[in-house]
Amino acid sequence: MTVPMFSEMPMVNGTFHLTDHNDRKVNTETFRGSFVLVFFGFTHCQVVCPRALTKLSAALDAIGDAPIPVTGLYITVDPARDSPQVMRDFLRSYPRFLGLTGSQTEIENAKRSFRVFATRSASSLDDGGYDVPHTAFTYLLDPAGQFIAHFGDAISLSELVERLRRCFISSSATGKTINDRLPAHGGC
Amino acid sequence: MTNPAEPCRNGGSCYPSTGLDRLQVGHLRHFANLSRQPPNQWDLMKGKGYGQEDFGGYRFQLAYMAYALALTHRHRLPAAPGVFKPIFERLIGKMLLPEVWMYWRDVSRGGSIFNAHLSPGYVEQWDPVIRDNIMYSAYLQSTALMYHYLFDDARYAQPGALALRFWSYFWGGEEKRFVYDEKSLNTHIYWQMVESGYLGVACEPNCTFQICNQPAILGFRLHDFVYGGSIATDVVSGYEQAWRDFGRIGDNGHYNIMLAQDTKSVRPNVGKAAWADAWCGTLMNMWNRDFVHAHYAGQAKDFLKPGPDGTLSVIAGERPLVMGQTIVSDSCDFGWMAAWASEMGDNATLCGLFKHAERHMSPRWSDGGLYYPRNDNATDADGNATMIEPMSGNVLMGYARLNVPDGLWRFYNEPWNASRFAEPALTRVSDDLDVSKAWFDATANRLEFALDGRGIASDGAVVLGNLRSRGRWIMHRDGAEIARGNANISEYTVGDVELRQSEDGLLLRHVDPRPAAYAMTFEA
Repeated sequence: MTVPMFSEMPMVNGTFHLTDHNDRKVNTETFRGSFVLVFFGFTHCQVVCPRALTKLSAALDAIGDAPIPVTGLYITVDPARDSPQVMRDFLRSYPRFLGLTGSQTEIENAKRSFRVFATRSASSLDDGGYDVPHTAFTYLLDPAGQFIAHFGDAISLSELVERLRRCFISSSATGKTINDRLPAHGGC
Repeated sequence: MTNPAEPCRNGGSCYPSTGLDRLQVGHLRHFANLSRQPPNQWDLMKGKGYGQEDFGGYRFQLAYMAYALALTHRHRLPAAPGVFKPIFERLIGKMLLPEVWMYWRDVSRGGSIFNAHLSPGYVEQWDPVIRDNIMYSAYLQSTALMYHYLFDDARYAQPGALALRFWSYFWGGEEKRFVYDEKSLNTHIYWQMVESGYLGVACEPNCTFQICNQPAILGFRLHDFVYGGSIATDVVSGYEQAWRDFGRIGDNGHYNIMLAQDTKSVRPNVGKAAWADAWCGTLMNMWNRDFVHAHYAGQAKDFLKPGPDGTLSVIAGERPLVMGQTIVSDSCDFGWMAAWASEMGDNATLCGLFKHAERHMSPRWSDGGLYYPRNDNATDADGNATMIEPMSGNVLMGYARLNVPDGLWRFYNEPWNASRFAEPALTRVSDDLDVSKAWFDATANRLEFALDGRGIASDGAVVLGNLRSRGRWIMHRDGAEIARGNANISEYTVGDVELRQSEDGLLLRHVDPRPAAYAMTFEA
C-alpha cells in the first residue's frame, strides 16, 4: 500500500452535494458569494433543533441587511424520514432556512466534511420512532465556501450576533479565509 | 515545623517555602537522568511487554515525568524554571522518536479481541495522531502545551515543531513525515472529540477509554490558558452529557474502563483492576473533584492490603487468559495507587504505600537519582508484594511523592499568574546541581533557593534572571551575607561562590561540595 509522506490536516472542509427542500441539486458552489450558516439536525428533533433554529433565525433577523447576503442551511442527519417535502413543511416555521437532504451516502459525506457526530438511537418512542443525537454546532462558511468559524449550542443570541458581525467584517476586509488567523476553537 | 499542607501566614501555599526533601530531589534527579540518555537509549525503562503497546510504554513514562515536573514546578519550586525547562524539552524530544510511536503502525491494523471483527475495515496507519491513538496524541498535545504554559515559550507552536519522522536505511522506502505543532494537534484532537459526540477518541481502534481522554482535556485547558477560549469547558460539558447514557461508574462502584464504539457497550472494571480506577481518578480529579473524591474511599478499599507497621500494598487484579494466552504487560497498579492517593490527599495511604515500597521494592540511588528498579516477581519468599514496573518505579512513585493534595486539580483550576515571568527566578541551572528550594517571596521581596552539587558539581552554574528592575540586592548564604550589588555587578567571588554578570542574568557558581541555602533580598 502507499503510505502518505506527509499528513493532511483534516479540518472542517464544509463541502456537500445535496438536494434542497425545493428538490434542486445544490452544493457548496451554489452558495458562493454568500456567507452560509449551517446547522445539522432532524425534523423530528423535539428540543435542540427548534431551539437552535429559533435562535439562528433571530440572529439572521438581527443582522438585517448585511452587505454580503447570509444564507441559512439546515442539513438533515435523518435522510430516511426527512424528504424534501418533509423539510419544506418543517421549515415553514423557520423561513430563514433552506433545508437540505440527500441519500444516506450524501449525508454521511456531508457529516464527515463538517465533522458532525450523529447516530440513530434505538427505537424508544411510543410511536416506534427514534432520536438522532447530533452535534449542535452552527458552522459559518465565508463567501468563498471556506469554513471560518463554529459556534456551540450554548452561545447566547447577543453573543452570536456580535461574533457573526465580527466574522463578516473580518472576512470582508481581507477578502480571504480568516481561519488561520483565528483561535482554533470557535473562530471570530 | 511548618506543615506545608496548611496555608502560610501570607495566605499562599507553604510548599514553596518548605522546598523538597532528599527523596523528592532524588526523584527529580532520576527524571533528569532518564531524560539525558542519548536518543534510543532506554536504560531502566523497558517493561515486560513487547512493542510499546501497553501501559508501561515509553510514551507514558515520558508524559507522566513531564506531568510530575509540571506539578513540582507549579506547587513546590515555582522560581526554578531553569530546572524544569531543559528536562521538558528532552522528554518531548523523546516523545517524537519513532521508537515511542511506531507501535501504531501495527496496532492501527486491529486484530485484538476488541476489534478483530472490524479489522477488514482498518488500514495500516503510520501517522500516530491522525486517527484514534489518543493514548499517544493527547500526551504529545498536552505536554507541548504544558511547556508553553509553564515557560511562556512558543517553541512547539512553530509550524512543524512537532514533526514525527521515520526513515530507515534498511527498509521502508522514502521518509515518512507527519508534521504538526501544538495548535494544529490540539485542533485535530478537538475535532476528533466533536466527531465522537464527545464520548472521546479511541486508543486502539474501537476502544474509547475514559482514562485516555483525560490528558486531552488537560491539553485543552492548557490551550485555553495559553491562547484564550473555553475549549476545555465545552468539551467537559459535552463529555459529561455523552457519558451520562453509559455511566462513568459500573454496578460494582468502580470506574467503567472503556466503551466499544461499534456496540456502544461499556466494559466495567469487573476484575477490580487497581490501575483502572487509580489512573482514572488521578486524572479526572482535575475537572471533577467532588465526584472523584466522593467515590475514592469506597473504591480504594478494594485495592489496598494492610501489612505490618502501617504498610500497605496493592492487590493485583486477576488477569484472565485471552484466546488461551497469558497477557504479558505492565499494569502499574502500585504506582497508580500511589499517584491517586497523592492527588486525593490521602496521606495515610500514601505513607503506607511508600513504607511498603521502602521495605520490599528495593529503592535504589543512581547518579543522585532515586527509583525503584523493575521487579517481575509478584511476591518475595515471605509473600510480600514486590512487583514493580518501570512506569511505577521510574515515574509514578516520584509523581506521588512530588504531587500535593489536589495538585492536578489546582493546576487545572488555578491558573498561574503570568506575572511570575517577571519575578526573579533561577532561569538556567546546570545539570550537575540539585535545587531543593526556589521561590520568590513577593511580600519580603526575596528570592530563596537552595543548591546542592552533591560533591561532584564542576560547573555548578545558576543564572538568576529577571533582576533588572529590582535594583540593589543583598545576598545571604546560610544566613551570612556574602554579597551586595545591583544588576550591573561585574564580578564577585566569596569563598566558593562566584558571581558575575552574564547575558541573561546574574551567574552564580556553586561548586562547594556542601549544600547551601541562598536568599537574595531586593530593595526595589
